[in-house]
Parts: sequence; structure tokens; C-alpha cells
Amino acid sequence: MATDQGGDMRALVEQIAKALVDEPAQVSVQAVDGEQVTVLELRVAPNDLGKVIGKQGRTARSIRTILSAAGMKLRKRFTLEILE
Amino acid sequence: MPISDKAGAARKIDELLRAVLKECGFRVKYRIVVDPPLPEERDWERPEILVELSGPDSDLLLERGGELLRSLEHLAQEIVRLAPSEHERVAFDCMNHRAMRLEELKLAAGVAAERVRKTGVPYTFSPMSSRERRIVHLALRDEADLKTESTGEAGRRAVVVYPKDYKPAPRAGRR
Repeated sequence: MATDQGGDMRALVEQIAKALVDEPAQVSVQAVDGEQVTVLELRVAPNDLGKVIGKQGRTARSIRTILSAAGMKLRKRFTLEILE
Repeated sequence: MPISDKAGAARKIDELLRAVLKECGFRVKYRIVVDPPLPEERDWERPEILVELSGPDSDLLLERGGELLRSLEHLAQEIVRLAPSEHERVAFDCMNHRAMRLEELKLAAGVAAERVRKTGVPYTFSPMSSRERRIVHLALRDEADLKTESTGEAGRRAVVVYPKDYKPAPRAGRR
């Protein structure tokens, strides 16, 4: 535990996505680090897209809200891209 | 239909919150209560699982109308696989925010009702979530001389309070 300080947004997005979808084995998240921002690229099974986006995009927006609050704490910027 | 496996649902919510708090570094603790005792209010809200968060980062959860708190709540509702009409079965709270907001909405409903009675003109609230619109409708359900409706597109839906027998004025140029 002592070595695990948290701050791994890639792992967090993966865990949340796996809990939301019907086919967790198809979930993958890649973190692409930039100068200013880390882009988190989320891929899910085509049938699960609606599950991670949600009605009127509400589920995706909720994940982004968490990422942006975490970004303030960690002094980093994260952006979530859901790839189709 | 109540949540069939409440212990399983509580476990899923616990896993979600543990991961979020660890990775994001939010300094809050949480407590998950299954079948919380109902407050004296009769049927405003009846969550079957109540999650209470508190700690030094409570302010962060409550910023912008509780945006982060509501985001966590929404993810929990989705992860537990609640249909949209059943979302109220899982509720998140922090610093008694829900109860305060409930009181605010009831007060605002009362003020709007008086104004519509006095002026005879419909009153449109600011856009609200379905949960908050429901509270306003319930707050005014016993007012026999008024009626309430929701209008507007998703995301901009708002409650309107009308006099019971209200008919829009005929538009000019029409017979």
C-alpha cells in the first residue's frame, strides 16, 4: 500500500468503464501524455458505447467531472476521449 | 421494484468510491447505509442506499451545485444498473446538502405559488434536474388553484406554475 500513492487516472477510468459495461473484457484505456494534458483514450465494445456515454452524455460527463476535480488536486489536466 | 441485491449494490458502490478517492486524492470519508431510516418527511425521497461523504474536501464535492457529488451519484446509479426512473433508490449526500436543497426548493415553490396567485401569470423556474423538478411538483401538488408542468428540451427542462384555469392569451392576428 505504501508504494501506491494513487493518481493513476488511466486505471481509474478503466475500472469505472468495466463496472459500467456488459463486456468488461473489451474495455481498454490508453493514456497519451502531452505537455499540458494527458489524454485518456477509452475503447469499449460497440454495444457498450451507450453505457459509457449515457443518456444525453450524462455518464461521460460525470467521468469528466471527476477527472477535472482530480486534475485540480493533482495539478494536471486530463481529458477523456471515447473512441468509436 | 426495490433493488434486489442491496448488499451486492453496496459492494459495487464501495469499490467505485474506494478507487475514486484513492486515485483522485480527494480527502473525504464515506459511509454506505442500506435502508436508511426515513426522515419525518413523508414521500419526498426514499433512497434504499444512502451514501454520506464528509471530510476536508467536502467543498470540492459541493462546488457548482454539487456537481462532483452528483457525478459520483450518477456513476453509482449506473453501475448498480438502475433504470432512470429508479435512480432515486441510490442517493449521495454531503454536509446535509440534499436536505438543505429540499428545503430551498420547497420555499421557492411557495414563493412562486404566491406570485402566480397574485398576478395570474405563469411562473417558470430555472432549469433543474428531474429529481429537483419532481420535488417542486410534489411541493405544489395540494394547491387546488394551481397546476404545474415541465416544459423545455432535455437539459433545459423547467417547471412552470400556472393558475389552474390558465388559458394562454389568444395570439394577435388569429381568429
